[in-house]
Amino acid sequence: MNVGVIGLGKMGLLHASILNFLPEVKLAALCEKSGVIRRFLKKVFKDVKVVDDVKKLSGLGLDAVYVTTPIPSHYPVIKTVYSEGVASHVFVEKTLASKFSEAEEIRGLVQKYGGVNMVGYMRRFAVTFQKAKKLLDEWAIGELTGFKAYAYSSDFYGLEGNSKVHASNVGVVRDLGCHAVDLAFWFFGDINVTAAKLESKVNNGVEDSAYAEVLTSNGLRGEFSFSWCMNKYRVPEVGFMVEGSEGVIAVNDDKLELLLRDGRRYKWFRHDLHDEVAFWLGSPEYYREDEHFVKSIILKDVAEPSFKTSAEVDRVIDEIRAKAR
Amino acid sequence: MSDEGKLFLVGDNPFHGISHLSQERSRVRGDASTDPEYAAKLIRVSLDNGANGFMFSVSEKTLSILNVLRKNGFVNRLDLYAIVPYAYEYVRLAGRVGGIPGLAKKIVKEIAFSGNFSTIAMGLKGVFRSDLDSLVKTYLAYEISRVKSAIGKKAELRCVLLHQLVTDMCLGLNLDWFFRLYMDFMLKAGVKPGFNTGNFALLAKKFKEWNIELEEVTIAAPFNKIGFQMVPSKERCEKALAELPKPNVLAISILAAGYLKPKEAADYIAQLPNIKGVAVGVSKEKHARETFKLLNEKLGRT
Repeated sequence: MNVGVIGLGKMGLLHASILNFLPEVKLAALCEKSGVIRRFLKKVFKDVKVVDDVKKLSGLGLDAVYVTTPIPSHYPVIKTVYSEGVASHVFVEKTLASKFSEAEEIRGLVQKYGGVNMVGYMRRFAVTFQKAKKLLDEWAIGELTGFKAYAYSSDFYGLEGNSKVHASNVGVVRDLGCHAVDLAFWFFGDINVTAAKLESKVNNGVEDSAYAEVLTSNGLRGEFSFSWCMNKYRVPEVGFMVEGSEGVIAVNDDKLELLLRDGRRYKWFRHDLHDEVAFWLGSPEYYREDEHFVKSIILKDVAEPSFKTSAEVDRVIDEIRAKAR
Repeated sequence: MSDEGKLFLVGDNPFHGISHLSQERSRVRGDASTDPEYAAKLIRVSLDNGANGFMFSVSEKTLSILNVLRKNGFVNRLDLYAIVPYAYEYVRLAGRVGGIPGLAKKIVKEIAFSGNFSTIAMGLKGVFRSDLDSLVKTYLAYEISRVKSAIGKKAELRCVLLHQLVTDMCLGLNLDWFFRLYMDFMLKAGVKPGFNTGNFALLAKKFKEWNIELEEVTIAAPFNKIGFQMVPSKERCEKALAELPKPNVLAISILAAGYLKPKEAADYIAQLPNIKGVAVGVSKEKHARETFKLLNEKLGRT
């Protein structure tokens, strides 16, 4: 399978490396806007076509492309990929688009052009969250009564008012909180925002902390808390506390605890949950998501989270913004 | 410092506030071990109890620790194993300064202000000619100069290991020329080249395919009783280890990030062939004393 990568920042390089390891994949083309980076890429990847424009990828016989450009460019890039017939199958790093209206248009393109598509919500491939999903599906804590979710990092901790700092223009909800929103969709189904609050502590006016209250289609109430400014979150962390009639599940990137009302307690770390992969880069979930996408193409299966599923995350993010006004 | 004996290195993860078991654990552990003075004290206690080296990612934090060790006169007693680049710090920095272009500008500025003129000249050549070799060498020379200025002239930087993220990315991309470039540069600089990897079995296989002499390098890779982070499997890593031409592996994650007791961890490592040494992080004085005493007892010095 010939695969191209569009955007060679850190995520582009990470996926390119994993893809190159997968036996079913040939890394065939790279697309990068920056002339300096392109010159280096041409020297490093002698057998790989390197181009400066997505349109130039058409006619190269690509089966799939990875879109790993900044979020605001996802929509135009994906549109070009489909309209120019660059490849049939598309993977895009989270989030699908920078607003719901764009995500809806992309959903329309998928209906028109078909193919396998997937968004890189890699935490669905983390063993702790997979175990949590299994327990929830098995009603391990009975009927659900509520949840609290967080997505925190220390990226901008202690930098309030620092003029040299440039927080990502997409804001903490889209950049980091989207993982928790996606997991909430996976765990509980459809979500609607009932209240929200945004804060901007770092200088450039983009939200770096956010709070939202939500209601699922099953009547479950939940809360989200997102921040780039938390102390002691050296690497970003996402977590959930889910309450049910029979107990509580507390899960994050590292561990899962199941506390039952009858007094039984269980704890699993990654160590206990078969976190093995064939190739480890960044964290095991990146390998698993790429393997899942490639296998879905081979088996002509749906890859989840698909564009259709992930467009709803963009809707919720827009709702948080709207409710906070 | 050791020449032929086993290496017992103090790892720096607790000094950065890292726990690979869970971030929550490092938050609960508190800030004490991230203070350079206290970290230096932990290293000294470890030294007094059988440790003989320090493995560290090159960062402002570890350079401060090395400064304290130099002032206290302990740095000369340590085998120093540096890891570059400190990838996670750079990833975080990239987020703060506007992605990779912003990060590149910041590093260039730091190199320019370092006052190392031959390094600056090599870097300029790299930029003007799009010469990746020159840029890589410039960066490595800069990192080595940072360590050397922190440790002083009397201490010796034994080995510089390429960070796991970079090593493994290059492995995935089959960039054999990069490994050769890195090794050539380090050997010419009089420093042992090393590679920190999460894909030990793959690295050993690729190096054989590429005819890269495994004898020439030091490899730091996870080895522990439960196979945590041993990719693709504990069995494959153990087999690759047994097939090495000489003991040049530094076992890391031997406690599986605190999941295992030191005794059972040491018992497992003791029965492995080709282990040059171990690196273990410590966050308390009691922990430092017990851990390195036990490691010496179980693994011995030869």
